Amino acid sequence: MVGSVNDLSSEMEVEAFRRLFPLRFHEQHLSKSVRPDARLLSKARDTSLALGAVASADGSALVKIGCTTMLAAIKMEVMTPTTEAPDEGCIAIDFHMPPICSPIVRPGRPAEAAPVISKQLSDTILSSGMIDLKELSLVSGKAAWMAYLDIYCLDADGALFDAALFAAAAAFSHLQIPVVSLNDDGRIVVVSNQSEGQKLKNKPVNEEKRKLKLRSIPFALTCIIHKDYILADPTAEEESIMETLITTVLDSSCQLVSLYKPGGPALAFESVVQDCIALSRQRVKELQTILNEAISDMEVD
Amino acid sequence: MAAKGTPATYSPSPTTFKKTKPRLLTDTDWVRPDGRDFHQCRPAFLRTGAVNAASGSAYAEFGNTKVIVSIYGPRESKKAMMYSDIGRLNCDVTYTTFATPVRGQGSENKEISAQLHKSLEGAIMLDSFPKTTVDVFALVLESGGCDLPVVISCASLALADAGIMMYDLVTAVSVSCLGKSLVIDPVSEEENYQDGSLMITCLPSRNEVTQLTMTGEWSTPKIHEAMELCLDACSKLGKIMRSCLKESASTSQE
Repeated sequence: MVGSVNDLSSEMEVEAFRRLFPLRFHEQHLSKSVRPDARLLSKARDTSLALGAVASADGSALVKIGCTTMLAAIKMEVMTPTTEAPDEGCIAIDFHMPPICSPIVRPGRPAEAAPVISKQLSDTILSSGMIDLKELSLVSGKAAWMAYLDIYCLDADGALFDAALFAAAAAFSHLQIPVVSLNDDGRIVVVSNQSEGQKLKNKPVNEEKRKLKLRSIPFALTCIIHKDYILADPTAEEESIMETLITTVLDSSCQLVSLYKPGGPALAFESVVQDCIALSRQRVKELQTILNEAISDMEVD
Repeated sequence: MAAKGTPATYSPSPTTFKKTKPRLLTDTDWVRPDGRDFHQCRPAFLRTGAVNAASGSAYAEFGNTKVIVSIYGPRESKKAMMYSDIGRLNCDVTYTTFATPVRGQGSENKEISAQLHKSLEGAIMLDSFPKTTVDVFALVLESGGCDLPVVISCASLALADAGIMMYDLVTAVSVSCLGKSLVIDPVSEEENYQDGSLMITCLPSRNEVTQLTMTGEWSTPKIHEAMELCLDACSKLGKIMRSCLKESASTSQE
């Protein structure tokens, strides 16, 4: 049987072989240490970042990793803090896969992956200590910020969590908190530029807190484990054929934040996990550079 | 995240509780919020091939209105569907939660989906894909006025990119009536205090109208004037869309 497949491969057109025997197609590439899109096994796809893509949001970022595209935006609203934590704001994170992003998502039949990634994102962001929730406080016990972070997948081509986490971190670094004051009815209102002169009696409550201090930004890299091979930053096609994934999240100082290995047919030895972390360490440097460049470009403008 | 969704939140921006104040609409010498002439459209930015996973797709940006449309199919219809000699068109429009100034307000999209369907189905050769369905999915990234016309034009561009056979491109433009003046391609602020609105979707090279909707207060001469304006703008938009398609076809050949 194996022989007949081999014979076929010499006669068949490449595209037909790719569709009929996807695993063999990929394994033949892997044995030559290259992937169908001409990448090395350890290489992530080209990544680009644009800050401030959504004008109606307080902070936003558009991330492209290969064809995978994520749009993240933050809207700030005001809430009354809980009695247990009167000095803390809150972050609500939601990940969406609208029907435009992939042929498997249809209206009324949402992708199974979306709530999983949503939960992973909020676990990672809230536990990484990137944001001090105390910075989101406005008036102790009375008012605090609720940051609604919504991440939309515009094009799904693998490594969705990595792209979504990068978009989320970038949106937080782009976030400009509006200057607000407490009005006579006890509500928080935005101080608009025109009314600044006349409304001095309601002093802004957060004049010097326009930006969040981000400590230790988390970055993620997903790898596929297949036999002895480790493939960094898989495409959707690779993910559908080789099912064992390991996602490592490291922060900017390369400390491990989280590690996911959601099952899969291949078991990961300790050495494999360490290799994944080493690849991830490389990736953190790349992503950190891209983020820093985008931020400094924005400050120049 | 036990607190998620439970605390009531509100947006601190003044638009939430301050009603838009109507200007002196009897005057004709007011200036539009973005400084355009009354009969001037916003600059249009159009690109095909925005979503790689789709059979065809397009991105459209008219001022602050930003829309992505993906086409999937023709593919197998849902199991429950009856046999059909002609193809089916399935349209769905969604808004991002941050599309509107106040979070999560873009809700009336069932109606928009139905209108999108009605304006497209007349232009598509449905008998060219019997028994199957073409899905037209739109996501409004940012709503800045004239959302429906932009979605319709963008969808027809995406259909062309997907190679779905059509009699012609579909272009849509709307006009708002504000007091004595007619403004074309209104922004959200203008739509909020308009007296009436008229939208035409048409096939520009065939000079056929697939949909015409009119709401609010109109006088007969105003309707004529508005229709002239829309049809003229539609044919211009058609040219822009055509050149966008030519450009993407010539780059893909190289």
